Amino acid sequence: MDSDDAVKVDAVVVGGGPGGLAAALSMARAGLETVLIERGEYAGSKNVGGLFYGTVLNSLIPNAFEQAPIERPVSRRSIAYLGPGTHMTVDFGAEAWSQPPYNNTYIVNRSQFDRWLAKQAEEAGATLLEGMVVDDLLYEGNNGTRKVAGVCLRGGEVFHADVVVLAEGANCLVTEKARKALSLRSGRHEQDYAVGVKEIIGLPRATIEERFHLEPHEGIALDFVGVPFEGLVGGGFIYTAKEAIHIGAVAKIETIVKSGRNPNDILDAFKRHPGIRSYLQGGELLEYSAHMLPEGGYHALGELTADGLMIVGDAAGLLNMSLYKEGTNHAMESGRCAGEAAAEAKAAGDFSKAGLAGYERRLQEGVVLSDLKKYTEVPDILSGAPGLFSLYPEKVTKLLVDFFTVTPEPKSVIQKRAIRTFLDDLPKWRFLKDVFRARKML
Amino acid sequence: MSDILSLSLEDKLYRTKYEPDAAHPHIRVNSDYCVKCGDKPCLFFCPAQVYKPNPNDANLVTVSHENCLECGTCRYGCPFQAIDWQNPDGGMGVKYRYG
Repeated sequence: MDSDDAVKVDAVVVGGGPGGLAAALSMARAGLETVLIERGEYAGSKNVGGLFYGTVLNSLIPNAFEQAPIERPVSRRSIAYLGPGTHMTVDFGAEAWSQPPYNNTYIVNRSQFDRWLAKQAEEAGATLLEGMVVDDLLYEGNNGTRKVAGVCLRGGEVFHADVVVLAEGANCLVTEKARKALSLRSGRHEQDYAVGVKEIIGLPRATIEERFHLEPHEGIALDFVGVPFEGLVGGGFIYTAKEAIHIGAVAKIETIVKSGRNPNDILDAFKRHPGIRSYLQGGELLEYSAHMLPEGGYHALGELTADGLMIVGDAAGLLNMSLYKEGTNHAMESGRCAGEAAAEAKAAGDFSKAGLAGYERRLQEGVVLSDLKKYTEVPDILSGAPGLFSLYPEKVTKLLVDFFTVTPEPKSVIQKRAIRTFLDDLPKWRFLKDVFRARKML
Repeated sequence: MSDILSLSLEDKLYRTKYEPDAAHPHIRVNSDYCVKCGDKPCLFFCPAQVYKPNPNDANLVTVSHENCLECGTCRYGCPFQAIDWQNPDGGMGVKYRYG
């Protein structure tokens, strides 16, 4: 294609996940001519998720929770430890979580949800090009004055644009190339990836509601740590969809490599734990999936803008890996911030890095960087205090089990033994130190 | 139907939808590094076991790119970064219906 025929638009978004779609939606609404390029056959076809916080969605699209393909709201949550043949669960919820807008916490099938969101972006005026691969950015100028001028598609075609929003997700090849080509500043640490594997298991609606004690319009998100994840920085989850449950295991890749375990075997060990298997009985596997998560947090964040470029969502490393596990909502918020910044840049006729400064300013002022900063130390705590999710919960579970183990002995004898066992091999000084550090995880 | 707790990885991958592209492998392994690689973590870290021991040469691995779930773990897990993983062609590869 010669350059005279080259298509020129205001903005090109690379990737049709929630970050890219929120950016496209915002830019289209602001009147920018916006093209979103998705490599899958449809937006969502490469995406995996489950637990979804909808504060940004519900502000971008009023009452979105009433129209979006939400499987169930999260009306209850639980955090559980799975020991060697023992388990302990903290289960909590609130009546208000079963009422609109359902605590802004939902369970979604991301392939279906993202496809719906893509439709909203299209209706706002964005053009969706699905089934097309961006292999690189298009640059103008040399080293010092190099700026992004569009994207190069597989097959050799190019798209010219004033601004490119990279929203490739965790596995972000174009973003990595662009960071090198533009010498973007790296974070203090390298990005640290985890991988999650998941099964979606079909079960009748009534069976799910019976097994998890749910009303028809309720759902539950369960988080697990413990023995199935021994030697890993990771854990498991179960989310209830309408007529299926999502069950998955997530662990840092570095710890998987060290442990020599296969992610699917980790998931199987989790599924077979006595505290889990009864949930799955009689189910039928509908889909098996795998996806990466950037878990490096605040210190792994690098420069997110250049002349003609903004990076959003998981490609930017904006996931909050604390107990909240908030990736999608942060991606959408960053997409919206990028979209608003692009609209400012268009109005000012300045798409340079300075002209796009509104993006990082919005991230700084908003919830995304505020939360990432708050949890800056979480990745270090997770790696540095492995006892937090294995030894200590195991000790507490054993204490409870011993306390309630019924024998012909007097209760005083049983209780004394339980407490002695608890205290005996507890590394007390280390325990205090770990607990003190762990407060930063909340 | 086999029990949900005893599905093999093959059973699981069979339930996931793909648009297979046999003619265009999107994964290339630089085997110069495999020869030097003792542990070969790719044989276990891949959720889809795309990498398997080469039956003809224990120093090498085979690649079943059609099973790839496109997570990207191999790009970080390979100690020599000897795995060149590219996005499959548009619309090809894994196609999640639930996600």
